[in-house]
Amino acid sequence: MIKKIKATVFEKIILIFLILLGVATFGAYFVILNKCLFIKNYNPKNINFKNPNNIAVLKAPCGNVIIELYPDVSPNAVERFKTLIKTNAYDNVAFHRVIKNKLVQAGDLEFGKKGSLDYGKIGNGKSGLGTIKSEIDNNFNFLKGSVGLARTFKNDTEDSQFFIILQDEPLYDGEYTPIGKVLYGLDILEKIKHQRHSEYVLRPNFIKSFKMLN
Amino acid sequence: MHLLKTIFLSIILIAPVKANTIYDLIKIPHLEIYKINTENKLKYFYAAAPFRLGTQKNIVCSNPNKKALEKKYKIIYKNLSRYSYDYLKKINLKYIVMCENLSISELYTAGIPDNIMKTLILDIKFNEDYFERVIHHEVFHIIYLQHREIFNDGEWIEFNSSKFKYAECSTCTKNIGLKKYDKTKGFFTEYSKSTAAEDMAEVYSHMIYLKKNEINQIRKLDPILDNKISYIKNKIKQIHNSFTFGD
Repeated sequence: MIKKIKATVFEKIILIFLILLGVATFGAYFVILNKCLFIKNYNPKNINFKNPNNIAVLKAPCGNVIIELYPDVSPNAVERFKTLIKTNAYDNVAFHRVIKNKLVQAGDLEFGKKGSLDYGKIGNGKSGLGTIKSEIDNNFNFLKGSVGLARTFKNDTEDSQFFIILQDEPLYDGEYTPIGKVLYGLDILEKIKHQRHSEYVLRPNFIKSFKMLN
Repeated sequence: MHLLKTIFLSIILIAPVKANTIYDLIKIPHLEIYKINTENKLKYFYAAAPFRLGTQKNIVCSNPNKKALEKKYKIIYKNLSRYSYDYLKKINLKYIVMCENLSISELYTAGIPDNIMKTLILDIKFNEDYFERVIHHEVFHIIYLQHREIFNDGEWIEFNSSKFKYAECSTCTKNIGLKKYDKTKGFFTEYSKSTAAEDMAEVYSHMIYLKKNEINQIRKLDPILDNKISYIKNKIKQIHNSFTFGD
């Protein structure tokens, strides 16, 4: 006959504690893995915009980044940017250059596409639409959240690549072509994958989609 | 040795990538901002530590003494403030780098112009007597490089007497005096005789630095310099019509 042994109160407490610890550890594992936790996602449909025709919505891994474009400041650059957005050219394109707390850069349509990423050439790709003239003769201040078109060392080489700055960059004033500013979702950009030792990202995050609001 | 290598590699791998906007823009390391909000939008940097540049790393400059930098910055700023934003844009000059003991292949030099990077590196310790004028001499080199198609060395050489020959290069001669000749005879200084480009830069810098009546006097007495001055004036007008020399 098997004698039933009753657990003491102390043993029951230990058991409950161990179960709770297991749950907490398991939960924490997912919390740590989920970099997007506690990041607010913005739904552009719930926001009223002054110029809805100039609002672009970039869907990043952690949510929507809502950008207002400035056609009055850089008409040609914004027109190019809108053309590419409307043709879904930026969908599945890598954030290939990311410097923590400084900038994220994307838009290499030739070597930065998901599935055909070329680490050897990324950052040098073209859109196929040709380059456009720099629009730097304005008094635009590159403050945190500003969006600009990237270029080579020479002016008038802007194409499809763009960057968003995560801190004020007064040295960019008059140097790069501004195209807009992030209205909502800077914290989403701060969660984009970066590399500690390099500006260029191995296995980067991708733009899920990039669309005009209207 | 292995231990040293391991430590070195560890430092590289542990050190996070450091964002350096100035380096990103003009590819000169160890610079810090001195002044960026200027009226003509020139941005002034200084070397916070010595730097080496070029594929051969043959351009070398040191970090300046703070007091000297303060003093020389005022002089540089005053001289470069005479150039408008529009003019600077056309000649492609935007960044001024101030450092000490600037040399290229171990030859000391007042400045190194780089129109591609829109940068002029200036040695703040360069010859005190001619420091101000030399700033404009270096500005001319930026203009010359940026508008190479405008300046014709052959045409320029024709202004000189047929017996005269420039040196093979600006550093191929020991005659590098910067003192203005009392009797000019076609050249403002000894250094003018080094190359056509240096001669043009000397003419340009004197046109900026000297008073209008001094220039007029020289033009009256020296027909060669008169031609050279007209040439520079016309070429600069081609670049920026409203630019004026002298006072």
